[in-house]
Amino acid sequence: MITRFLTDVRVRFNPFSPRAKPARVFLSLIPPNARADGMKVETKVLPRTSTEPATLDVKFKDGKELKLELDKMRIPEVMEEVDRHSRLLARKEELTGN
Amino acid sequence: MPPRIRLRPCALRLRNAAPLSNPLCASYASLAPATATTPAPAIDPTRAAAPILRYPPTQPPSHKPPQVRKTQLHRTYQSVLKSSPLILLFQHNNVKAVEWMSIRRELATALRKLDAERAKNGYEGLIGDQIKFQVITTSIFASALRVVEFFKPEENTMDHVQHPTDPQTATSAQIPQTSNSPEDEAFKHGLSRRAWEVASNRKLKSELEPLLSGPLAILTFPDVSPQYLKTVLSIVAPSPPNFPAPKRKANPSYFEPEVQSGLQKLMLLGARVEGKVFDSEGTKWVGGIDGGIDGLRAQLVHMLQGVGGQLTGALEGASKSLYLTVEGRRMDMEDKEKGDKPAE
Repeated sequence: MITRFLTDVRVRFNPFSPRAKPARVFLSLIPPNARADGMKVETKVLPRTSTEPATLDVKFKDGKELKLELDKMRIPEVMEEVDRHSRLLARKEELTGN
Repeated sequence: MPPRIRLRPCALRLRNAAPLSNPLCASYASLAPATATTPAPAIDPTRAAAPILRYPPTQPPSHKPPQVRKTQLHRTYQSVLKSSPLILLFQHNNVKAVEWMSIRRELATALRKLDAERAKNGYEGLIGDQIKFQVITTSIFASALRVVEFFKPEENTMDHVQHPTDPQTATSAQIPQTSNSPEDEAFKHGLSRRAWEVASNRKLKSELEPLLSGPLAILTFPDVSPQYLKTVLSIVAPSPPNFPAPKRKANPSYFEPEVQSGLQKLMLLGARVEGKVFDSEGTKWVGGIDGGIDGLRAQLVHMLQGVGGQLTGALEGASKSLYLTVEGRRMDMEDKEKGDKPAE
């Protein structure tokens, strides 16, 4: 997963629901130095009784926001959604020669 | 020099060696060098066999090959689950080795401090040095958890062995023969085939199952002690009102970048307290019990005393009021009598 272009990641999930797996795997895909390099990661562990769906809010460097409901998704699909915009940004960066 | 006679290895084998149904079993059975070199003779049901143990007493044959790391991890996790009544489950997201090291260091210093304080106050049961924070292999831990929760053998693991090394055992003693193959029903240890069969029943669901995915770490306590839990939570998962992180002046090493960045990547998911599963709120509730088990006892005693006082008060009430009315009436009559006398 391309995480270079993410500035803000917010995850909410209830760990006791089996549908929280993609949210947890997404968190484990963030590289170890990301927080030190300025990415904001906020995780909210919901209580066991809550029936709220697991959600993921991502902000990119160019200001685009992406909101995903992780309940119905699997982790490759989540990665695909996030990478789609990241690839665009990577291409732009490459063309401007930075 | 006499001529060398070449011996075929199969000629050395006993003629009535137990036929192995599955050739793979040979590797399972090769637990001990003794059993590996001399295969066990066939057990004739009509004749009493000598009370010989056909495997080392500490290594009964297991379902999976025992020399494999996975099997040993499985056994370790089973013993961890059985021996620690309080387990905290964390998800660790790419925590570096340096960060692990510094988190463990902070935990150890805080626990040592708590131990010293408790020792000074005359408490017993200092478990600070036995609280361990370890990364686990999630799938093997899940499997071990299933064995621990669902496989309940009736008797002790080694009951059927019946002291073959005890000199008092007669050589003609009848012992329930256990062969050296994992198929034997008599084996009841956690790695036995029966345990595996019970645990692989997918209809049985454990409460902790949804938590067991992704990278996990466990913090194990040898005893349910809210005081220790409170200390650990305030280090590993601080939350301001009840579990505040140590102050910067009191503990500057806690605010080193390695510790802080490591703690950001740790998430408290839940806890297993004496077989029951709690979420992070429930864990904080357990940690918030003041004074631990002694505090709970004191609260109970206090409550019972209060109840006793109320009960005696209520029971006394009726008789007391009766006494008061009767006494009032008596005083009243006496007064009247006194009043009457001077009038005469």
